[in-house]
Amino acid sequence: MTTCTVTRGFFVLRHCGVLAVTGCTTCGRPLCAAHVADAGMCPECAVAAGYGTHPSRTPITTAAHRRRAFYSGSSHHYQDTTWYSSFDDYDREAFRPDSAADPDYGVDEDSGLVDS
Amino acid sequence: MFWKKTRAAIARFHPLHQTLVWQHTLAASMPVDDWAQLVHSLSGHETVVRRRRWALPPRVMGVLVPLVQTLGEDVAPGGPLTVEADLRGENPPEKAGQHYQLPAHGRIRKLTEWFVVDPWLRIGAELDDGSRLEVRVVDRIRHRKIHKIGASGKRKVAHKTRRTQVLRCRRVLPRGVAGTRPTQPPPAWIRVAVKDGRRRTITATVKSDRIPQGGDQVDLILTTLVELFRWTPPTTARRIG
Repeated sequence: MTTCTVTRGFFVLRHCGVLAVTGCTTCGRPLCAAHVADAGMCPECAVAAGYGTHPSRTPITTAAHRRRAFYSGSSHHYQDTTWYSSFDDYDREAFRPDSAADPDYGVDEDSGLVDS
Repeated sequence: MFWKKTRAAIARFHPLHQTLVWQHTLAASMPVDDWAQLVHSLSGHETVVRRRRWALPPRVMGVLVPLVQTLGEDVAPGGPLTVEADLRGENPPEKAGQHYQLPAHGRIRKLTEWFVVDPWLRIGAELDDGSRLEVRVVDRIRHRKIHKIGASGKRKVAHKTRRTQVLRCRRVLPRGVAGTRPTQPPPAWIRVAVKDGRRRTITATVKSDRIPQGGDQVDLILTTLVELFRWTPPTTARRIG
């Protein structure tokens, strides 16, 4: 039985644990129906993709964004790197530059704005 | 009667919402889902009520709602979240203490001092990991009324105030969990006390020399709460799944 691995809570972090019905379209983690965020992504990937401040964001994306922003800010007050790293691999993975949503901002070889 | 439609709209609000409008106070202990209904009702206040006299106190949407939403994420399923908020401000006479005279000297002929103590927020919650959390915020305003006389005999009266805030957060750890002291100390402005007993209690206290407003107030409370949760890294907390 595959269960939802989305981290919920603000201070007391734990996995959701409800039966998964689908997977995140970006990182592939199993998701329950309640944790399918914008564009079929998990909340963490949705925040990494910029949905955290988007007007059409879902409440679970908002909660993930708020938690992410707060943990990042409070780490500066406490100088405690272990506090910020209390997220699991899934949560951190979405914020690695070489993974998660590929923004494709690089220069294409065959389709530039200006024809040569 | 004036404002008849607005009065009728307020009468359709959540009962606790109405109490906030008329009395500027809130005292309730209920599950998170019920708090969500109240927050939903509060979020529609400004679109319905235009009269400034019946506006919600600024701390409702600025402090109370964000805290209820944030702490509600950690409350045990079906467990209560208790909030006692007195948002009447510092003016009610029962909040003022006794006036007393301080020794006057020189040109100061009379010096009167009194304190206003405003315990405006108290939150309690049973968390999902079995611990118990309490937050208490008290504003403390020192008033001094100074009567002085100038060299020419002219009399002046000055009134000075100094505002401080005491924030006390307490977490009673779950049974059988001792927690470990974090390797990094907390910021110097947070005092931490640990009391051992059947269940270990950690208290974080902050005395601020100003009264933060809105988002700053929420940040101060949440940043202080961080210290209580650094004692139990996620590996010692009860995980589901």
